[in-house]
Amino acid sequence: MQPVYLDYAATTPMRSEVREAMDPYLSDTFGNPSSRHRWGRKASAALEHARAVAAEALGAQPREIFFTRGGTESDNLAVLGRCRAISLEDGLPTLAISAVEHHAVYDTARWAEERGELRLVVLAVDTEGSIDLDPLRVALNDGPTVVSVMWVNNETGLFLPVPEIATLVEELGGTLHTDAVQAIGKVPVSTKHSGIRLLSATAHKIYGPRGTGLLFVREGTDVAPLLYGGGQEGALRPGTEDVAGAVGFATALRLAVEEQAEESVRLGALRDAFEDRVLAQIEGVRINAGAARRSPSISSLGIDRAEGELLLNALDLEGVATSGGSACASGSNAASHVISALFGPDDAKATVRFSFGRHSSEADVSRAVAVLADVVGRVRELEGVS
Amino acid sequence: MSRVLVAMSGGVDSSVAAALLVDAGHEVVGVTMKTFCYSGTPAHSKTCCGLDGIMDAKRVADALGIPHYVFDVEEDFTRDVIDDFVSEYAQGRTPNPCVNCNSNTKFKDLLTRGRALGCDQIASGHYVRVEHAPEGSSLLRGLDPDKDQSYFLWAMPRSLLPKLLFPVGELTKSAVRAHARDLALITADKPESQEICFVPSGNYRDLLEKRLSPVHPALQPGPIVRRNGEVVGEHSGYASFTVGQRKGLRGGFPEPMFVLQIRPHTREVVVGNRDELFEDVVDIGGLNWLAEPPTVGDRVNAQLRYRAAAVPAVVTRIDESLTLELAEPQLAVSPGQSAVLFDDRERVLGGGRIVSASTRALV
Repeated sequence: MQPVYLDYAATTPMRSEVREAMDPYLSDTFGNPSSRHRWGRKASAALEHARAVAAEALGAQPREIFFTRGGTESDNLAVLGRCRAISLEDGLPTLAISAVEHHAVYDTARWAEERGELRLVVLAVDTEGSIDLDPLRVALNDGPTVVSVMWVNNETGLFLPVPEIATLVEELGGTLHTDAVQAIGKVPVSTKHSGIRLLSATAHKIYGPRGTGLLFVREGTDVAPLLYGGGQEGALRPGTEDVAGAVGFATALRLAVEEQAEESVRLGALRDAFEDRVLAQIEGVRINAGAARRSPSISSLGIDRAEGELLLNALDLEGVATSGGSACASGSNAASHVISALFGPDDAKATVRFSFGRHSSEADVSRAVAVLADVVGRVRELEGVS
Repeated sequence: MSRVLVAMSGGVDSSVAAALLVDAGHEVVGVTMKTFCYSGTPAHSKTCCGLDGIMDAKRVADALGIPHYVFDVEEDFTRDVIDDFVSEYAQGRTPNPCVNCNSNTKFKDLLTRGRALGCDQIASGHYVRVEHAPEGSSLLRGLDPDKDQSYFLWAMPRSLLPKLLFPVGELTKSAVRAHARDLALITADKPESQEICFVPSGNYRDLLEKRLSPVHPALQPGPIVRRNGEVVGEHSGYASFTVGQRKGLRGGFPEPMFVLQIRPHTREVVVGNRDELFEDVVDIGGLNWLAEPPTVGDRVNAQLRYRAAAVPAVVTRIDESLTLELAEPQLAVSPGQSAVLFDDRERVLGGGRIVSASTRALV
């Protein structure tokens, strides 16, 4: 039987429109955008066109879009770069992050805190997606504060109230960064709220190329670069630009935003059908953050009396590709910081994340549920034996 | 054909084992057991596995077109193998950590997890053979006498035997390498691993110092004595000694001296000349049987060290433990090492850990 890919939150296959748009820049139109000659001019024009398309898709100005080499880089640049810019002017900044941020923010923040670069405040989040704003108010009133709250959580699909936080941060005078990597194409994402000053996105989660991301930087927001060596991307991200990547990303972004409303309805229906059947057929399963507003493409299951790694291996062997929590952390048995933050450190359920995408079908859902029921049974038998 | 789980260490033997199973038409699932991290720091937890052979195993599995997974058994390995290793040295014995690891941690875990993955059988790249017959399964020495690893497998539960496959046990090491080269496997010319895997430096004393309290008696100075009690020197901790060892005893003796015995209660290391090292009565505890247990008077062949030849012996007592009388006195019979018993057709009967040894003259 054909294997079923239900790990779109990990990465996605490139769509043909994207490949076609990129193709010229991988062959004939290969110039360096910094070159003055015709090859360079062609490349530069393509890059600036891509910037304009991406800006429009996000409701931003082209000069506010900075291409990077991916989501992790954008997150690092936003968090560290903004904090470093503040410390040059105003002394030690406070960084307030939600407890469920992606490792690209979470680990970066902890590392910088250990090095004494910033004061770190971690904001508790509950399974409804409510975030504890009191410590945030204290921090904002205390001094220069950078806030990083993701739009959609990558492990559970949970929505965080970014517009609400943007209003608060703007009122009290801080800088809000939001990691929108998992939100684009799933929910309406825009930079129009003036409280959002930094926003990270990446191409490969929306059927674009691996290795291209962007950081939106609202005009007037000072960010220090992490890399030095050239004037590209306003010297915020020096290095010869990946023109094909930018063109591919812009194409993917435009399509994702255009198709978002319709695709979200379709994915949401698939996900609901999946979850209804899982709950009906397998006992001892929790839909993580199931009652909260969340992404239509992600279903995170907490499964009783089962070992997560083994469950994922067995699912894969039977042809159903999924992740535990996030694909990035697989291979380690450590409980995810996201699940611990939402359900407490003693939560002993195995987490399996199913994520749906463009090629997911009703048949995939049926197959996934049948295989999951079988595999959970087998893994639980083992728990009884040992 | 059945689905087989094959333990792939990233070495040539298990690579070829997997290849042979694929050739035989099995549906093969490769797995590498992550036993411990060399660096011990979480920041390195992803890179250290490269050293462990996980990446090599992944590449071989990909070349063979089979799935590959990692089983994290660090917790079990630390408890069952490393802690036991440390505790044995702390009690003045010389452990075989590979026996614990192979017999228990590896195969038990492979079998239980394998079942959850729908695998009926478990395979590895050990140089041993298993014979499946209607009256039961038997473990036999590997055909290559230089590589035979049956010494490490005596302690596994007998109930596992019917589930096991050892495809390279029928081959010589050179045939295994030749096969790996024919298949252009990246592990074809990988060197043998000899050291204890969790002591890559070869200096186990460092590990003991890390895991035992600094005031543990095994690490404190104590007297070096002769059998008659005469004190002839001082040592820096009995944990550094093994029966039969010559190195590390300070000089000044008229003839070469060897460790005869370690007495943890008094921290004495007993030394003597080479002749005093020979013993022919061996007590064995912690018994496990892979065939019908012997009875008093049975003749067996006993292997008392890895790579030592088995010696004919007679069982003179058996209950929870047993006593063997060896046909020939053996040099440096070390408490803590495994004693593995074979019948005349090289079938493993079972074994135990050596508790003590003596000479018939003194019995």
